Amino acid sequence: MSSDDCPLCKHQLEGLPIAVSVRDLWVSFGDVQVLQGVNLEIPSGQLVALIGPNGSGKTTLLRCLLGLQQADRGSIQLLAQPQLANALPRIGYVPQRLNLEKSFMLSVREFLALRLKSTRTWFWQSTSRLDAELLKRLPGLGVEHWLNRPLAALSGGQLQRVLIAYSLLSDPELLLLDEPTAGVDTPGEQGFYELISAVHQVRRMTVVLVSHDLSMVFKHASWVYALNGSVCCEGTPEHVMNAESLKQAYGIHVSPYHHHHHSH
Amino acid sequence: MNFFEDNIYLIRAMSAALLLAPLCSLLGVFVTARRMAFFSDTIAHAALAGVAIGFLVGFNEPTFPMVMFSLLVAVAMFWLKDNTALLTDSIMAILLSGSVALGVIIMSAMKGFRGQLHAYLFGDIQAVSESELVLAAVLSLGVGAVVFGHLNSLTLLSAHEDLAHVSGAPVKLLNYLFVGILTLTVSASIRLLGVLLVTALIVIPPAAARNLSCSLRQQIVGSILCGLASGLGGVWAAYHLDLPAGPSIVLSAISVFLITLAISRFRPTPTAVAMRRKT
Repeated sequence: MSSDDCPLCKHQLEGLPIAVSVRDLWVSFGDVQVLQGVNLEIPSGQLVALIGPNGSGKTTLLRCLLGLQQADRGSIQLLAQPQLANALPRIGYVPQRLNLEKSFMLSVREFLALRLKSTRTWFWQSTSRLDAELLKRLPGLGVEHWLNRPLAALSGGQLQRVLIAYSLLSDPELLLLDEPTAGVDTPGEQGFYELISAVHQVRRMTVVLVSHDLSMVFKHASWVYALNGSVCCEGTPEHVMNAESLKQAYGIHVSPYHHHHHSH
Repeated sequence: MNFFEDNIYLIRAMSAALLLAPLCSLLGVFVTARRMAFFSDTIAHAALAGVAIGFLVGFNEPTFPMVMFSLLVAVAMFWLKDNTALLTDSIMAILLSGSVALGVIIMSAMKGFRGQLHAYLFGDIQAVSESELVLAAVLSLGVGAVVFGHLNSLTLLSAHEDLAHVSGAPVKLLNYLFVGILTLTVSASIRLLGVLLVTALIVIPPAAARNLSCSLRQQIVGSILCGLASGLGGVWAAYHLDLPAGPSIVLSAISVFLITLAISRFRPTPTAVAMRRKT
């Protein structure tokens, strides 16, 4: 079997609109070519993982999608919009972390209010008014219990939930997550992926997450792109896990389920 | 009538404090959140070279060259950051010390300007002129309008620049705008506080307000109030005890900070409790 495509699985996704289309994308930092001709097409409604070793360009690719990083050449189309600016309002983004200065007293309530169109001027509005607006729209991730707390006082896991809630407030059609569990402990990590999985199922949106954590990705993703400068392998998690090229990319024998059982 | 004539310096300095202290402390909330305190200090020190050059070329009131030189240094800082491999801190340290050295050498070389040097280094309540008051008033209105008009984007920018970009905020423009208004505010406050101490009014009030707040709104309002108390108290003390204005304002600000710190120790906000537990 060829390791670089999986005609059977790809066939099932044909006919769906394309949420993310990347063609021949090249990015370099100085002399280092980080992305070398990346091609991918992500059909709507999928939970897709971009995996790869450190330096494989997965975060760079995500930053390109969001317009945070200029590409040397190639094209990107999100949600079938020719202009990124038209697509951005329909996209949710969950960054790795906030790296907030501890002296900054922005509360969860105020942070979330920044994403609401109806509370453009949160500073002048009463707390009860903001809460009424927020509770109407919050996706029920438990963040309503922390509204009074400053962002800087949250734990890593709590902050992740707040960031997801923030991105969901605008009802995105496409959700992009960058290494979402960096700085979260293992049980928190598991809960996080279950949460993303649930959100994805309820809202039927496209989710693209960048991760180096293979075991979690393989459990929840419907499609996986293995990146190493370019897409070296794609397919269902089972397919990619067994692909020769992934083992080459990581330079080791990959066994994504090794956390859970050692029977083989 | 007599009261105004007798106390003209006090009234001018009080008005300047009334206008500039809230401005510095409002911007300070975002300056400290964005870790730009050293940047603002560099701009302030750069102003000294601007003042000296202004005197050298014949200005009586070198406000204009001072502001221009500070802006120039701010631009130079961005250029060096983008076009060299130098560490940002190194760039700022070089520009800061270079500007002070240049300013002091020029002003020491010119006859009769050593007194001026002292006034610019530490602030002087007698130095506030009417035209500077007008500038301060215009600046307060303008900067207040910019900050409150873009409060959402500015807040988001302070939390996470990429997130602000993805949320549709004009990040680049806002960054330049912020540096611009910060530079203007810092240089306008130099007459009152002096080159060496102006950053104190940007850093201390937000820190004092933080001790007692649970939200950004409380911190902003608190910071403005702390700034006002420090500015007015400092000018009052400077006038009546014949102290240099800058140090007097700074000590007032530190007193306010210590008071809020003491209050927060005895009656901590729920937030303070949560944060202490976290660390």
